[in-house]
Amino acid sequence: MAYHSFLLEPISCHAWNKDRTQIALCPNNHEVHIYRKDGAKWSKVHELKEHNGQVTGIDWAPESNRLVTCGTDRNAYVWTLKGNVWKPTLVILRINRAARCVKWSPKENKFAVGSGSRLISICYFEQENDWWVCKHIKKPIRSTVLSLDWHPNNVLLAAGSCDFKCRIFSAYIKEMEERPSPTPWGSKMPFGELMFESSSSCGWVHSICFSASGARVAWVSHDSTLCLADANKKMAVASLCTETLPLLAVTFITENSLVAAGHDCCPMLFTYEESQGTLTFGGKLDVPRQSSQRGLTARERFQNLDKKASSDTANATLDTLHKNSISQISVLVGGKANCSQFCTTGMDGGMSIWDVKSLESALKDLKIK
Amino acid sequence: TRRRGDALRAFHAAIRSHPAGSKNPAAKEQAQGVMLKVLTAFKSSEIEQAVNSLDRNGVDLLMKYIYKGFEKPTENSSAILLQWHEKALAAGGLGSIVRVLTARKTV
Repeated sequence: MAYHSFLLEPISCHAWNKDRTQIALCPNNHEVHIYRKDGAKWSKVHELKEHNGQVTGIDWAPESNRLVTCGTDRNAYVWTLKGNVWKPTLVILRINRAARCVKWSPKENKFAVGSGSRLISICYFEQENDWWVCKHIKKPIRSTVLSLDWHPNNVLLAAGSCDFKCRIFSAYIKEMEERPSPTPWGSKMPFGELMFESSSSCGWVHSICFSASGARVAWVSHDSTLCLADANKKMAVASLCTETLPLLAVTFITENSLVAAGHDCCPMLFTYEESQGTLTFGGKLDVPRQSSQRGLTARERFQNLDKKASSDTANATLDTLHKNSISQISVLVGGKANCSQFCTTGMDGGMSIWDVKSLESALKDLKIK
Repeated sequence: TRRRGDALRAFHAAIRSHPAGSKNPAAKEQAQGVMLKVLTAFKSSEIEQAVNSLDRNGVDLLMKYIYKGFEKPTENSSAILLQWHEKALAAGGLGSIVRVLTARKTV
């Protein structure tokens, strides 16, 4: 596990370039900083200053190498590298609240922005006007959209919202793409069509993720639950009430395995058993350091009992790599079908890279299916 | 023994017949009263076994009753509830407490 401390403040969001040599992140302010890997070190190579509010989402398109950022200033910018300078293009989202998340579509010809305006802005480039335009998906969203993920068919979009629901919409733009073929989520996909809506959980949906095939969607909510909807099982939803603090980020690492992390500061494995339609906890992925266990004197025991109503010294410090909540997970190598490496960033200003093979050998009971 | 069996049966019955989703405050009040009586009937040494006989939803429900009980303490209730809380926490983790806070249907 490689951990790098970038900042003393939270990393608001991050995105990697295609070959994973550069990371773009927001250092809890109005800017985006790009760091390049230099052997074992990270050097800052660019500072993108255009937003007038905190940058809440960054996505880096791997093929076209364009960045898209969104912020609390209600704007989004598409950035293109010209020579050695990143040039921004403003995209009018027509929202009157903060933008909260942004994602390029798989073909990189559209991107979606979730906002506090209780809608999703689907943005695409109009050639004739040389301008990014956007269409809104509104109904039936009732609160802030916190997270988005595209289906591999470039049309369906999953959205997690503060109204406690996970939904899948069609973001089909007839002006610029072919009619999509039927999927297990449905065959009629006019723009804005609601293909799936979960029944209410009791928590804001912090993060949402399609599996690599697009047949499954998983989400984590603030009521410490993890849920998965399986289109191949008539959209049946499996849910797991976890024993942990709320999870803030989730991703598939195989078609059956998920990694999620949040306020417990460490990534955890979850497994979906298709035949039974169940989700189970597969273990924490943070290999604890060997802490020195020294004996307590009777006096120290009594003092602990007096101060903390407990006589053991465990939990006095965090044993996890991240020293504060993990807010984002990204897949680095292998895609969501066969992830061999993933990355976490958190409120401790740190970024950690996790190697799945090393985890499997270090944690004997770990089973990734 | 007979008394222990009765307490455990009453416990499961109280868990099963919870009025969550009911908007009737009187019904809820009554259910809380019954649950507190049932929880009080257990010996300290029997609490862990009772908690472990519950499934995940049962532990979540128990945790809701425990916190509801904390809201209106009687002479000895908090001490008893704290013992139940320790065992329920061991079984349900912090997640079960989070779900007490986020629940939209209370007990």
